[in-house]
Order: sequence, then C-alpha cells, then structure tokens
Amino acid sequence: MAADVHNSKVNWDIQNESLAPIDKLRIERSDSPTPGIVEGTEPGAAQEKAMFVHTQSFEDLTAETRDTVDGDQEVESCDLTKLSNDLSQLSTHLLGQEEEQGEAEEKGEDQKVEMFDESLASVTSQDSSPCGREDICDITSDAWRNQRKHVFVLSEAGKPIYSRYGTEEALSSTMGVMMALVSFVEADKNMIKSIHGDGYKVVFLRKSPLVLVSVARTRQSEQELSRELCYIYYQIVSLLTITQLNQIFERKQNYDLRRLLAGSEHLNDNLLKQLDRDPGFLLSAVTCVPLAVSTRDIITSSLQAAKAKNLVFSILLAGNQLVSLVRKKDQYLHPMDLHLLLNLVGSSSSFREGEGWTPICLPKFNPSGFFHAHISYLDSSSDLCLILISTSREDFFCLSDCKHRFLERLWRRNAFQNLLEALQTPTYPVDLVGIPELRHFVYKSKSSGLYTSPELPPTYLVDEEQERLMGLYQYLHGRIHNSRNPLRYIYHCGQRENLLAWVTSGFEMYLCFSPLGTKVLAMNTVTKLLKWIRKEEDRLFILSPQTY
Amino acid sequence: MSGQRVDAKVVMLGKEYVGKTSLVERYVHNRFLVGPYQNTIGAAFVAKPIHVGEKIVTLGIWDTAGSERYEAMSRIYYRGAKAAIVCYDLTDSSSFQRAKFWVKELQNCEEHCKIYLCGTKSDLVEDDRSMRKVDFHDVQDYADEIKAQLFETSSKSGHNVDELFQKVAEDYDQLYSFQQMTEEKGVDLCQKKNSTFYACCHH
Repeated sequence: MAADVHNSKVNWDIQNESLAPIDKLRIERSDSPTPGIVEGTEPGAAQEKAMFVHTQSFEDLTAETRDTVDGDQEVESCDLTKLSNDLSQLSTHLLGQEEEQGEAEEKGEDQKVEMFDESLASVTSQDSSPCGREDICDITSDAWRNQRKHVFVLSEAGKPIYSRYGTEEALSSTMGVMMALVSFVEADKNMIKSIHGDGYKVVFLRKSPLVLVSVARTRQSEQELSRELCYIYYQIVSLLTITQLNQIFERKQNYDLRRLLAGSEHLNDNLLKQLDRDPGFLLSAVTCVPLAVSTRDIITSSLQAAKAKNLVFSILLAGNQLVSLVRKKDQYLHPMDLHLLLNLVGSSSSFREGEGWTPICLPKFNPSGFFHAHISYLDSSSDLCLILISTSREDFFCLSDCKHRFLERLWRRNAFQNLLEALQTPTYPVDLVGIPELRHFVYKSKSSGLYTSPELPPTYLVDEEQERLMGLYQYLHGRIHNSRNPLRYIYHCGQRENLLAWVTSGFEMYLCFSPLGTKVLAMNTVTKLLKWIRKEEDRLFILSPQTY
Repeated sequence: MSGQRVDAKVVMLGKEYVGKTSLVERYVHNRFLVGPYQNTIGAAFVAKPIHVGEKIVTLGIWDTAGSERYEAMSRIYYRGAKAAIVCYDLTDSSSFQRAKFWVKELQNCEEHCKIYLCGTKSDLVEDDRSMRKVDFHDVQDYADEIKAQLFETSSKSGHNVDELFQKVAEDYDQLYSFQQMTEEKGVDLCQKKNSTFYACCHH
C-alpha cells in the first residue's frame, strides 16, 4: 500500500469491489468539473482508495427490505382495508383497557394514529427521571405529546428498553400496545411498516430481538425515519454485540435489557439529536477539519508511524470533524461505524478524565465481535481526540505507547501547533465561494465518503432554524432517494428559501439560496461551486487516505 | 511505558453511580465537577505520582465503569492489581451489597490484592443523618472480617480522599520494599536464562 502512494499516475487497482471504481488518471482531476461528472473524479474524490466502505444512503434498508420500501403504502397487505379495520379494532380494544387510567377518548377509524397517540398519553406518569428531562418526562403533559419525534425501543416481549422522552416505566403499557400491533400484523404473515395519519408517521423497524418505533411529526419520509431507527439499533449493538443480544433473549425472553444498557441512554439521546442536525448522518459521510495539506500529511504520517501489531484504525477527531484516519491494509471503516464512534466520544466527558479503554462493537464491520478502543484527548483544552482501535483487549499499554509516540512526532515536527492554530477556524463562511445568493450548501463526494459544508449563516443559527434547514435537506434527500422514484435533481421553492438538490454518480449536493434566487442562478451556481470545491479540495478533503 | 512508569496498579470497583470517577477526579485533579451524571465508558486510566516518605510511588489508577455491561471486562482491570478500592454509596444500601460481590470476586481471583472499602458521599450523610443507609459499624465489622481498610470519603468536600490514596501508596511501598529484598534472586535467575538463550541464537 505504501508503494501505491507514490504511484498516483498509474491506474489504481481495485482490491475491494465495494469501493469506488477508480480507473481514472490523476490528470483528469485538473479538468474543470462538469455536472454529471463520474465517480472517482469529482471534487474531493480520494486519489487512492477510499478509507470508507462505499455506501448508498439507504443501503441498510434497501438491502434488507427491498420489496417493502414504499413511500406511502401503509402496510404490505393485499387487503389493506380489512387490515386497517382490524388494526383500529385492536387499538380501540387496547385503548378500552386503558381508559380507566385517564383521558383517552375514542375516535373514528380514520384517525387511528391520533387514537394511538392518545393511548400513548393515557398512561399516568410514575416517577420523574433523574436526568434533567423532567419537563418532558410527564407523559400526560402536552409538552411530552408535542415532541416532534419520539423514539421507542422495546423487546419482543414488549418490555421497554428506551424512550427518547419520558421514563420507560411509565410507558410500559404503551410499549405493550406497540408490540401488540406488531404481533397482530405478523400473525397474518404480514409486517407492519408504518402508520400514517393526521400529520403523524409511526414507523416500525423490526430487528429481532428488538422492535424500534418512531412517532414523528416531521416531513421525513418513512425511509428516513426507518434509517434513523437503524442507527439506534446499531448504537445498541455497538455496546453489546448482536451475539450477546441474541443470547440474552434466547436465555430469558422477558429480560429487562435496561439493566445492561444502564447509563447509555444519553448515547441514544445524543445520537437522535445529531440525526436531527448533522448532515453527515443524513449523507452517510463525515466532514474534515479544513487543514493545509502539509499539516495533514505530517499528522497522517505520524499516525502511520505509531503503529502496533493489533492496531486496526487510528482516528484523530476534532469535535465532530475528522482530522485524519489511518487504517490497516484491506480493512475499511463504514461511515456508520465512524458516526457511532463520533457519538460515543461526543456524548461523554468520560474520556477527558484519563485514557479511556473500552470494548466497542463496530456493527457494520462485524456485529458479533468487540474491538477495543483507546480513547483520549491530546490535551485538556482542545477537542482533539485520538481513537486507537485494536483487536486485543490486552493492548491498553501498547496503544498508550502508540499515542505517546504519535504526540512526540507531532511536537518534533511542529505540527501540533499548526493543528491547534487551524482549529481556531474549524469552519469557513459561505461567502468564500463568492455567490451572494447562496446561503449554505452540503457537498458530498461519493467515492471518498466525505462531505463539506460551510458554517451556518446567521439566519440559521437558532436551534429551531437549524433543525428546520436540516429538515428541508432531509425532505429533499428523502425525495431524491425515494427508492420507488429516484430523481436526479430537485429545485424546491419555499417561502423562506429556495433549495436545489442534485445527485450524480460522483457527488451529491444540497444548496440553499435566498428566496430571491432563481432556478437559472441555481444551475449556474452548481458549476461555480464545483470549481471552488475543486480548488479547495486538498484543504477540505482527505485526498490520499493512508494505511499503516 | 514511555514516560509513564507505573509502580502499583490500583483498581476502582463498585456499583454505578457510587462516585468512583468523582473520587479519582478529586484525588488526581483536585476538582469536583457539578453537572448531570456521566457514566464511565469502559474504564479510564490515570497515572498519579505520590510521595511516600522520600520516595515517589506512581499509582496507575483504573477507574472502571460500574455498569453491568462491562462486568465481563472487569477481570482485565483487577488482574495483577496491588490494591482495589471498592466503593459503595453511604446513602444506598444496595451499593454495599454490590461491594460485597466485588470483594468476593477479588478474594477468589486476586488474593494478593489489598482491599480498601470506601463509603462515598459522606457529605450527604453529614448534612442529614437520616440519609445514611449503610451503618459505619456494620461495615467496620465486615472490613475486619475480610482484613480490609475502611474509609468514608466525600469527593465534594475532599474529606479523607488524599488519606485514602496515601494509605494505598504507603501500604504498597511497605510491601514493595520488603519484596525487593527477597526478589533479587529471581531477577538474577531470569538474566542468566536470557543470556544462555541469546548465546544459543548466536551460534
């Protein structure tokens, strides 16, 4: 692999078929980019092999439920009306049992989702959670009911495992209802996918031995919501491995999984927050700290040099951004796994205390085994976090030594100071592109699995506005990747902004314009933006990913 | 390892939320972080040099996660540990039951590991006596029985924290200087073995 690095002019051989087909010459990179550009030559494409497994945004869902990803079909069934009648009877029935407890009112059959939601709220709250979620913990309150997106995880026995808002105890009967819905449909050899109605979507994801449910008032498609549930599922797997998860429930079907997951709720909470805000999660991609090539090269080579026998991945992060990643030859990280690592580091201050050492399963790499991760911050004041992933649980001191060797090298070559300076400006304003109407954009290079995006303009700095913009991106993403009817581009005129989404085999981009922008302007912007990204690509992307 | 010579491995054990991390934070960084509870993930390692008389002993402290999820991993943390600080929460009697579990585990697997029982959050029971759920004398009896030392600490005020770790280091130092005298022979043997081994290789 090291030899390949110096061989940029020859054809790149492909060892892993899942990677981008890159039989292009380096020279082609200098050509001015045109929309419709091929994969592997788009701005930001890796010159060498990509460091990530190449992914489609929805691969998880399309692979496993190929036949059932239908945008608005509620349940896969030949006799929909009968089933829906059955369902509402069932929920009416279940509701009837709960009415003693509270305020649930019965409604017509056509409003079963609302009814379902009423039944969610009809359970009385028992005790409030100690974690500072009190205001939304009371599940009888409007604040709880009005949350934009609820996420529940339960076991196949209907035992609560996780709820985004409110305590699981208080929700146990509600989760029972959910499980009843799932099993009721399954009894007829059908599968419940989602329930739509009155501004709500209730999406079910069945990942035996778990059931995940999302109740959302967002504009996200069923596919998108399902993918988010998938992330939560993998988050749980990353703590336990699928083997352990299966074993537990084989041994005891009604096991209370919360015992094992104790203390991990904030991982799910934080993950859901990231899913609402971070375009990387939407695009299955990560973003890099803008950094001069020379500095990044020194960091990468220092990581390369600090290797050990069992070391598989060395990852340097700055907050949510990637600084560098070095991997073992022929081993690829999946962006989803990296997201789980980002989430682990981002949602815990535990690693600031000393050097962390934890077993972690990277479910897309191998859902049945643990890696062991050495996680530590490079210094106490910065966000620079080094993750070293090894296959051996005995490797702590070996990896601790790797870290010291890495740091020594950085200091010796003055790269640490340069890196800290670069971190003063971890983002860039959109003005640099030089298109006044352009407010924000997200650009992903498909072959490298990396994306770049400027900082949010002042208009979108408030939390709600940020989530609204992300909501629009999510909406466009869902539309453009609709598996029934995939599109190449969408121009969306809104009241407060116009958006353009564009997907080619090489890249994927989402642009946000002021409402005064026109379609012609948007189209012209694409070329200009691509040129700008091409010019800046070696700062914004990691063009030559390395192995040990 | 480089720049980090560790003399004694010390492991923190105990139920989650008893305050193992706070104890280490107070001792190593002399701070008490107020904020929402953050559970430890896996384990965290810190090396801390400490003066014992004129010598310096470096404690390698393993702060383990209390969550049951990591129980299978705990073996690697207490293996070879010279001291174990088994923590329980003075305001939570179930945490003391858990402490007893760890003591048994240590007695079975690591008989040379010295045990220190540590009742945490003593500031809470000082403010309000009714908060105390674990009786001092009961634990003292138990400690005598298992030949352990007993401390009641408060990471919030810092009460008794330094004393606990100082005691750990002193006990280690006493044992270590004693062992040093008896161990020398063993080292010699080993060297001899090595030299013959290398000699073999060269020929």
